[in-house]
Amino acid sequence: MTESEPDTVTQAPAWLELSVECDTEAVEPVSELFARHGYNGGVVIEEPFTQDPDGDNIAVDPSRPVVVRTFVAATDTPPTVVDEIREALWHLGRLRHVGELVLVERREEDWANAWKEHYRVHRIGRRVVVRAPWHDHEPAADEVVVELDPGMAFGTGLHPSTKLCVLGLEDELRPGARVLDVGTGSGVLAIAAVLLGAARVDAVDIEPVAVRTTRENAARNGVADRVAVAEGSVGPGAPFPGTYDLVLANIIARVLVDLTSGLAAAVPPGGTLVLSGIIESREQAVRRAFEDAGLVFDRRTQMEDWVALVYRGPSAPTMSR
Amino acid sequence: MAKRVRAYVKLQIAAGKATPAPPIGPALGQHGVAIMNFVKEYNERTASMAGQVVPVLITVYEDRSYTFVTKTPPAADLLRRAAGVEKGAGNPKADRVGSVSADQIREIAELKMKDLNAVDLAGAVKQVEGTARSMGIEVGA
Repeated sequence: MTESEPDTVTQAPAWLELSVECDTEAVEPVSELFARHGYNGGVVIEEPFTQDPDGDNIAVDPSRPVVVRTFVAATDTPPTVVDEIREALWHLGRLRHVGELVLVERREEDWANAWKEHYRVHRIGRRVVVRAPWHDHEPAADEVVVELDPGMAFGTGLHPSTKLCVLGLEDELRPGARVLDVGTGSGVLAIAAVLLGAARVDAVDIEPVAVRTTRENAARNGVADRVAVAEGSVGPGAPFPGTYDLVLANIIARVLVDLTSGLAAAVPPGGTLVLSGIIESREQAVRRAFEDAGLVFDRRTQMEDWVALVYRGPSAPTMSR
Repeated sequence: MAKRVRAYVKLQIAAGKATPAPPIGPALGQHGVAIMNFVKEYNERTASMAGQVVPVLITVYEDRSYTFVTKTPPAADLLRRAAGVEKGAGNPKADRVGSVSADQIREIAELKMKDLNAVDLAGAVKQVEGTARSMGIEVGA
């Protein structure tokens, strides 16, 4: 702690949140105004966005207004400050679109611990349980517990696509199996696979932050010696070019279709592929691609609007023509 | 992994000095992001930029995981420094708090180019000029 850091313990308990809707062009001047008065000079800008049902093609939506917020300590802020801000916004409103100033009282307890509610002990499969580092959990006889520090990289275990993939993993994993986890994110699936009895898991992700997070999480769970992580994918240039007893890919439909040949090449006869992260409306496109690649459809599972598919490797080695 | 986005949150905060107090706590807490985790990461990555406002764009996914990228300082911050003024005008239509040259505007536009949704440098220059006018900063030749 340095002297300049605010003392969050003795700071007034009540805060005033000031927010306003404005167009993109007005964001900078409104932020500048808010930064002048806001606590620690901090400003929050929330941009509206559009996305496909599975999060693909995300883009900022310039047709809707942006929300700009700041916070002032309710007790040490003279009421004239709010009047000054309102007046300045009125002036800006003559140049650009700026909405009404909205005031809401907020208390520290509204947010300080609220987020931890999401990170209790969660059962995400039949046997796999995820817990945050600050929670203890006495596992039942057949449970395996994955400790995850929630944060960077996707995969807290709370998403239906992760849960579906864990269920597929629990059903399909044979003790001593070799597993490939494509798009590992936080490494939750790779770690669960080792804890469920895999001999070795190779994990890949194209995002460096995911590679780093998976390494950290594997070490945290004492399985770093059985999880190899590399930046990359499947197909040409793949860091792990072999074949596996079980391949897991929890990504999204478009990417799964793009990776069809690389994923299929990693599944030998007798091997199994679990695909997840497929939004229901794109299921058929994924099924067509993987059936065309020679994999044998076994079954589908669904949770909310998310689908997982299980395939077997080609029934006989492909004859070269 | 399947990533459906829950929120895009941009924070304008001081480099290396993030705390769980407002605005970060309420802005991220409402979306279920692990606040301390973010604070630590941000401070580590921006420690060398102390004294500047380093905006950060946080993408919060549906499962409460997140990623973030830091951005260039806000145009308003750069304009204030260039004009040597402490703050923008209360009434930008009537008041002039300072001025910047066309070259200074161009420099700021070049620096901000990658973070502005402008098609080319001329477009970025226009946006920065607009911000300057909204702050009561005159744009010279």
